[in-house]
Amino acid sequence: MNCQRFETVVSELARGQMMAAEQRADALAHSDVCDDCAARLGDEQMLTLGLQSLASEMESLEAPREIEAKLLEAFRARAVVVPITKRQSNSRYWLAAIAAMLLIAISVVVFRWSSRSADEPRQVANQDKRQEQPQPKPEVTNKSNEQLVQDIEKPSVDESLPKSSKPKRIRPVNFRRPNNAAVANHVTKEIATDFIPLSYMSPASLQEGGQIIRVQVPRSALANFGLLVNMDRYNEKVKADVLYGVDGMARAIRFVQ
Amino acid sequence: MTTGLHRRMKLKSDVNDNDLLRLMLAGDEEALALLYRRRQGSVYRFALQMSGSRSIAEDVTQEVFLFLMREGHIFDASKGTVGAFLLGVARVHVRRRLRAEHRLEPLSDDSDDDDLFMQSTTDVCPLEDLTRAETIESVRKAVLSLPPKYREVVVLCELQDVSYGETAEILGCAIGTVRSRLHRGRALLLAKLRPAEDIEETGAATVKSARCFA
Repeated sequence: MNCQRFETVVSELARGQMMAAEQRADALAHSDVCDDCAARLGDEQMLTLGLQSLASEMESLEAPREIEAKLLEAFRARAVVVPITKRQSNSRYWLAAIAAMLLIAISVVVFRWSSRSADEPRQVANQDKRQEQPQPKPEVTNKSNEQLVQDIEKPSVDESLPKSSKPKRIRPVNFRRPNNAAVANHVTKEIATDFIPLSYMSPASLQEGGQIIRVQVPRSALANFGLLVNMDRYNEKVKADVLYGVDGMARAIRFVQ
Repeated sequence: MTTGLHRRMKLKSDVNDNDLLRLMLAGDEEALALLYRRRQGSVYRFALQMSGSRSIAEDVTQEVFLFLMREGHIFDASKGTVGAFLLGVARVHVRRRLRAEHRLEPLSDDSDDDDLFMQSTTDVCPLEDLTRAETIESVRKAVLSLPPKYREVVVLCELQDVSYGETAEILGCAIGTVRSRLHRGRALLLAKLRPAEDIEETGAATVKSARCFA
């Protein structure tokens, strides 16, 4: 071992730290032959003794007892405050939860009551109209498609309009409750025929809903459905709404003017 | 009532620090008292050895345990012991206080805290006692004069007898860094203490080189 190597281990040696026995023996052997390194080791040992003396002198030092008392007091104050705030927050939580449940229950009751009162006169009116104008058309009870089916079954007639010489089947469309805004926006000011079934259609086929698509067809197509065709405008096109079922099949058509 | 409290605390004395901390966070006052009594000494001494001021050490001790009450849930047992955690918190508070009070310089000779450790506790010869007290005082001043990063390693490893591993956890550095800082800190201490010894022994203020190339 040389002095540089000794320098790296002298602190550990002086502090009595664990080190390899061989390394320790080499270092001690070197300090025996090198006066400077022996002095260096002596300095380190003296420093270690001084530090140990300081540590042992301070070993009995402790924080004043007042600190413990203050801490326990703070802990108690904190422990008292926390449950109170917890209780307040719990009571507020329960109050809010009860209020929310009441609000939900009331809104459900009001919604059901209002929907029932709105449905009853409509059902009565539908029954009356059915009795007055019995037609062999499909009966659909699905509420989501109620408007759609009503258009097919019983298109309402705006009686305020003057009677014209046009065919009876062409009537102004009057949506009592235009649920489908897309349809209502362009239909309310238009005159349309009833929906004419394109094939056999059972009410069940519209249970899952449908889609109305606006198309343009040759005016001659009117003749296919038994409607009058103005021969002067034979080449022009006419607007039509085609009702598609969810299966993509065209169910009915109506012509729009 | 006091007897009952002492009996309960005796029962809890077998509980380890981690469980005491958990109980304390659950609102157990006795757990706090027991944990405080176990750990306040090392925290207080560390703060005192780092700052050289009783008032700072008392404040830091109080702040450390208040922090433990507030934020004790952040302690992670997988990263170290409760003792190391408390010393780490104490280190942060000491540094903050020293920075705030511009106390990073060595204490002056006329400091009120200079006689902190000049307590005669043995029945040995007064002259020996005086010599020992002077030695301790000179070492204490030398430690306080070290730059903080070396001082904290010397205080932890030499005065608090904390292992290298725990010191590394407290300081948030590698064990190798702890070793090198300790080596450098001890060299600085020797350099500070040697002139006085040399003056006493040889009457000269020259410092001999510790190196040789034999």
